[in-house]
Amino acid sequence: MNLPVKVAVAKDQLRRMHCEFNPLSRCDGSVMYSQGASVVISAVLGPVEVKSQNLSIDGSYLECNYRPKAGLPQVKERLREAAIKDILDLTVLSEAYPRSKMSIQVQELEDRGSMDACAVNSACLAMLIGGLPLKCSFAAVHCIIDEQGDYVLDPDHSETAHQRASFTFAFDSMEGNLLLIQTKGAFKIEQFNDIECLCRSASQEIFKFYRSQIAKFHGASQDIKANHESMETI
Amino acid sequence: MFMNSNLFEPGKSKAEKNFVQQAVKQNHRLDGRRSNECRDVQLTFGADWGTVAVTLGETKVLAQVSSDIGVPTTARANEGKLQLNVNIGGVAFLDEAQSTHDQRFLTLNSLLERTFRSSRCLDLESLCVAAEQHVWCVRVDINVLNHDGNLYDASTIATLAALMHYRRPDVTFAEDELRIYTEKEREFQPLLFLHYPVSVTYCIYKSSSQPIVDPSLLEENAADSVIVLSFNSYKELCTLNAGGSAPTNVRTIMQCARNAATRSKALVDFIRKALVLDEEQRSKGSGQVPGLVGLISEAAHKMSFHQLMKDELDKERATTEDSQMEVDEQPPEQAVVSVAQDDVKKEKPKQEKETPMDDSSWLPEESTPATVPAPKAGKTKQNRNKNKGNKKQHSKKPQNESDSEEETKPVI
Repeated sequence: MNLPVKVAVAKDQLRRMHCEFNPLSRCDGSVMYSQGASVVISAVLGPVEVKSQNLSIDGSYLECNYRPKAGLPQVKERLREAAIKDILDLTVLSEAYPRSKMSIQVQELEDRGSMDACAVNSACLAMLIGGLPLKCSFAAVHCIIDEQGDYVLDPDHSETAHQRASFTFAFDSMEGNLLLIQTKGAFKIEQFNDIECLCRSASQEIFKFYRSQIAKFHGASQDIKANHESMETI
Repeated sequence: MFMNSNLFEPGKSKAEKNFVQQAVKQNHRLDGRRSNECRDVQLTFGADWGTVAVTLGETKVLAQVSSDIGVPTTARANEGKLQLNVNIGGVAFLDEAQSTHDQRFLTLNSLLERTFRSSRCLDLESLCVAAEQHVWCVRVDINVLNHDGNLYDASTIATLAALMHYRRPDVTFAEDELRIYTEKEREFQPLLFLHYPVSVTYCIYKSSSQPIVDPSLLEENAADSVIVLSFNSYKELCTLNAGGSAPTNVRTIMQCARNAATRSKALVDFIRKALVLDEEQRSKGSGQVPGLVGLISEAAHKMSFHQLMKDELDKERATTEDSQMEVDEQPPEQAVVSVAQDDVKKEKPKQEKETPMDDSSWLPEESTPATVPAPKAGKTKQNRNKNKGNKKQHSKKPQNESDSEEETKPVI
């Protein structure tokens, strides 16, 4: 098997993505998703009964948890959790199920770089496969500026050690609107713009991946899938 | 509308309970297994040391070992610490119904504590760097990903495999200075073990005298009692967890124990084989290992029990075909006994030869008392009688004797 590591992939390409739908039996939808060697598992449950303190009459309550592989969730994990929740708040059609709860759990299995993007993408796939209502699907892309000032898209664990700046962008699938920006480090505004363009084009690749995987899951044949792609405008 | 707290628990409703009881009575299981047949176990090692994902049927558990330097307790100043952390919420959604969550968490946690900490399976003294100052604190995080019955076995297998897989950094302590070496400077070191415990779970129903091994969630929830036995690879008992409401025959527990000991040994052998394979892969792949991506891709990175232990299983099946009939399957045995009641006396000598050998294999301490040979010979006879009596629920004269004898056994 050729190893899905970044070393083998060009700097402006995403690492190989894999996913498996419904590996878990207790939830409404779950997905095991990997980007390169980073692996996460996400599960959704909902709409279900909600505790009265969280009850809302004009929309469903969204619960989002991110769990690290070892130890209790720390600040880093909480931030990641908040990022996922922010995106979901924007995209979930919560008005469809008032007085209920939608719960999404993300479990880290292996962190080999771009974990933020991985977690967001797996959350989206889990929502899609769990049949929870979304206004649009979403995809996140991680990118860094390395020591030499080059842009590295979807970096591996080993490449992030000496970075000047790191960016995570999330886009929606309908109009390509920005849903999330996370930046760290020092950079020029031109670099920011460049990387946004780079990530935007890479997000299309992720949406394509979503579409092909879900088509495969539902047993659609190749020509139907191709048809869908041509019909939809992104 | 959304009252679905019971939705997650198959086997809790009365109809399901009746169904399972009836099925067990007829010696059937929903997934078509025999009563002594286990589901396949699959191991996937992560790219980091000490990361293991275990799949037991649909049950999935992830264990991760980590370690850091800490201060020892004053009572045991020259020993490292082993900490077990169970997390059953998360993607498994086991925390939806709070009452069962707490119960489940407590039983699982206590089982793991007793199996790994109280039995002192790790050589904790080897984890001491400087007495009363610096010791290694080894921490195991057990994340339950999916629960489809028999969380106990999956967790103990995951914990043991993760501990065996883990390598800690080398460390030196000189002139009041602690130095931890990176993997490039000095090779990482594996943890030292005193023994290797693994648990095996049995479910017992009121409707049948036959215990079933490796229950699914439906079977586990409908069970009248659940027995968890931890054995190490030397077939020594480490933990016995028996609860529930089904009155259980001593003989049944003994039978479970004997089978569990064999199964535990096979499981430990399996983990060892898997570790060797993983080691080969690591040395071959020039530092790049696929890790848990193997869970998704269909490539054969999963190491399955049935696949690795195929030879042993076949061998075992060939040799124990006859004896298993006798040990595990009650109805045929009873039939044989009732038909051949007159021949029992003729059979006895054979039996006597067989059982002592059996006993010594699963309980080595047995041979200490001088009185043992006599009761043993008696016991086999009584057992045969007792089995016959069991069905009719008549207590006969010889049975009283046998009871007293058998009660002394567990004490030893």
